[in-house]
Amino acid sequence: MSVRSGQVTPLGSPCPAGRVSEWSVQGAHPPVAVLDRVSYLYPHSDRPALSNISLEIRRGEFLGLIGPTGAGKTTLCLALNGVVPQFYGGRFFGRATVAGLDSLDHPISRLARHVAVVFEDPETQITATSVENEIAFALENLCVPRDEILRRIAWALEAVRLEGTEKRPPHTLSGGEKQRLAIASSLALCPDLLVLDEPTSQLDPVGTQEVFATVRELNRTLGLTVVMASHAAEEMAEFADRIAVLDRGEIVQVGPPDEVYADGVRLAQLHLRAPQVAETFALARGKGLSVPRIPVRLQEGIALARDLSMQHPLDQPVACPEGIAGHPLPGTDKAPLLSVRDLHYTYRDGPEALKGITLDLYAGEYVLLVGQNGAGKSTLVKHFLGLLRPAQGQVLLAGTDTRTLKVSALARRIGYVAQNPDHQIFNATVEEEVGFALRHLGFSKRQVRATVDESLDAMGLSDVRDRHPLALPRGDRARVVVAAILAMAPEVIVFDEPTTGQDYRGAQAILDVSRQLHEQGKTIIVITHHLYLMADVAQRVIVMGAGRVLLDAPIREAYHADDVLASTRLTPPQAVLLAKTLHASFGMDDLCPLLTPAEVAGVLARTGGPRWDS
Amino acid sequence: MGLVKPGSRTSPLSRLDVRPKLALVGVVTVIAFVWESPLLGGGLAFLALLACLASGVRLGYLRNSLFLLLPFALLILITQGLFADEVIRMRTGQPTLTPWLTVPERVWWIGGASMSVEGMVYGLNIIFKMVTMTLLVPLLVFTTDADAMVLGMVKIRIPYKIAFVLASTLRFFPLLFADIQAITEAQRLRGLAPESMGPVKRARVYARLAVPLILGVIVKSQMLDVVLQSKAFSGSSHRTYLHESRLRPGDVALLVALALALVAVLILYWRFGIGRFGGPI
Repeated sequence: MSVRSGQVTPLGSPCPAGRVSEWSVQGAHPPVAVLDRVSYLYPHSDRPALSNISLEIRRGEFLGLIGPTGAGKTTLCLALNGVVPQFYGGRFFGRATVAGLDSLDHPISRLARHVAVVFEDPETQITATSVENEIAFALENLCVPRDEILRRIAWALEAVRLEGTEKRPPHTLSGGEKQRLAIASSLALCPDLLVLDEPTSQLDPVGTQEVFATVRELNRTLGLTVVMASHAAEEMAEFADRIAVLDRGEIVQVGPPDEVYADGVRLAQLHLRAPQVAETFALARGKGLSVPRIPVRLQEGIALARDLSMQHPLDQPVACPEGIAGHPLPGTDKAPLLSVRDLHYTYRDGPEALKGITLDLYAGEYVLLVGQNGAGKSTLVKHFLGLLRPAQGQVLLAGTDTRTLKVSALARRIGYVAQNPDHQIFNATVEEEVGFALRHLGFSKRQVRATVDESLDAMGLSDVRDRHPLALPRGDRARVVVAAILAMAPEVIVFDEPTTGQDYRGAQAILDVSRQLHEQGKTIIVITHHLYLMADVAQRVIVMGAGRVLLDAPIREAYHADDVLASTRLTPPQAVLLAKTLHASFGMDDLCPLLTPAEVAGVLARTGGPRWDS
Repeated sequence: MGLVKPGSRTSPLSRLDVRPKLALVGVVTVIAFVWESPLLGGGLAFLALLACLASGVRLGYLRNSLFLLLPFALLILITQGLFADEVIRMRTGQPTLTPWLTVPERVWWIGGASMSVEGMVYGLNIIFKMVTMTLLVPLLVFTTDADAMVLGMVKIRIPYKIAFVLASTLRFFPLLFADIQAITEAQRLRGLAPESMGPVKRARVYARLAVPLILGVIVKSQMLDVVLQSKAFSGSSHRTYLHESRLRPGDVALLVALALALVAVLILYWRFGIGRFGGPI
């Protein structure tokens, strides 16, 4: 962990002098927060959400919190500002102190002077109608004088690089900007501790980078103490000083990222994911390559890969491995299943969202639709579903113009799994949910029963058929929706951001479902920002930006088109960036465009570099 | 929020302080109640409609709002036509009213009753009152920034907590409508075609909206509560404000004009009977 010393001038901070000087000096002061044997149970729960947690949060550090869904990360974040247990109630044991204040003895409004929290959803946490009012809100509640509020607004906006947006309504900001606004609102309080609970889970990769970079800069330049819960392993490894790993309410490990993320076996046991760079070198080590230390940050990995490839050239060319990415795309000799011709669409009072899209999708394909927020992905899919009608151009389903079909008729052929499955659940039992549409589509009771049985069985939900769908975990709720859609036997299934907000296990479970459906012959379209999860399931990638198709190519080509991806705020997975380093050394002729950590590890192990057995 | 055109925030009304706008709503409501003349009442409703359009309130929103009033308007027209004789005789001094339609004797309970032209005109006057007040809501809400509304209400000594809750409620409606739309869309994407169902089946399908909707509202409001607590919100009026709510010359001019208009309407009504049912206008 890096230890800073000396005083840093905090960008002309208007915060009280004592507070600012405390921010900048680490080690000389007591910890910002101390959790001493904290256990907590929510009301009506007999399972502790936090169990015997003891943790010191050091002044000036960036502490990452990782753990699977339900591990207690959010509860721990809320225990730091007193919302747990003061707001939720329940049973709280042990002692939590922040800036010397006991979280049980001081009201949340008092603790808010010392602990600021940024939440997951950028929409819900914004309460004002302009950027400046948003920042001012908490300061007004704390009776900060008007002139001081004005000074802090200007300073906080400068610190998160949102100057000039004071009068803008927050809803006009991008997702990343909204989270930076939430950070600015927190920063303006001059807190001792900034807590961020999954602040990037809803953002595209560049928005995620923006938020992490902003937080890291505040941590480095101002010495602001940061606690951040996140599933973003690559960024956590890059930016955090220490990582605390939670599982079922307990802290099971605390250490620097190099230590935590290098232990892939332990992470896998906890259903967590290491950064791809660490996974790649761990796999290469497993194949016999001698790696003295598993790198967890991209630049370290690139340097190591470069050294290995320069010193130990390949003895023979490497062809692309077998796998879904290697499967040939359906030929154009077949008639397309979905065909889009010169599609234009403009929202009322909005910009042109689609600008002349032309593409064909073939039966049995697994296609990714990627691009920054606002690229036009959802607008395009809404045209497939009949929710939007083309302003110009055509969408054809098996040769039929979708304008001639009702939404309900299209739904029987194109199934849609929304980002939030809860919006698609209306019934009291899983069985009723799956049979819901069938009953309205004129199926007989016997047909409904048979089809429901088949769909539940396909999704592994037979055991929970009598349970309320909303009582199931989120991954299972998504499976219920998929089962309900499967019951209608559609040819195409669209997954809209299926892995957003999911932990690694949840994301894998949903992708497994999509893989099974693809193997059954369904055409799968996935809208996603999570390129790193899709490398070994998809075949084709359509990259969209500013309402246009920027690239439509097989996945190996698309993932290596980093200029095109960057133009729509996407970054290739770390494994691809490592592969590019190898390409620079070996040349493309000798090396297939690699996609996954396993593929890159395979090549690294073949470089003939030092081996365990030599 | 989708119910107003983007330009509405720059309409003349949106530039005013919330206090003269609240006064406008109050004065127009009083006038609408005072006037019984369908001609003046209709004129007032028409002016409110023009003001809504000039302020950028969407035509679609206005059409839907007025459409929702339609059954109530019909009910008022019929009941006033049938049963308002007494009131009208008292106000106009007319001994008999002009029959427009007589219900056949065989009809249960109202058989033999007669709908009078005057009663229906009186009903029209009530409908115009209802329309005017319905139009005042978007005129105030859609031209006023929620934060400015809180500030204005605090200035007229409404406790901060109540002002905040009112403004938050107004802000919550668009979110609620967005959720309803998302859920309805999700149902259609599950193959349902409510438009081709009978009314009972359709009602049953729509009733199922409640589950995800209520769940969503609970989750959102709890989240909002946590967010507010984390921002040191306690509802206390003991707080500072970034903005100051100051009356500008335009605001003062409107307040004076409203006061004069109210006085003029009352004098004209009581002194000359202008606006009375059956009066000169």
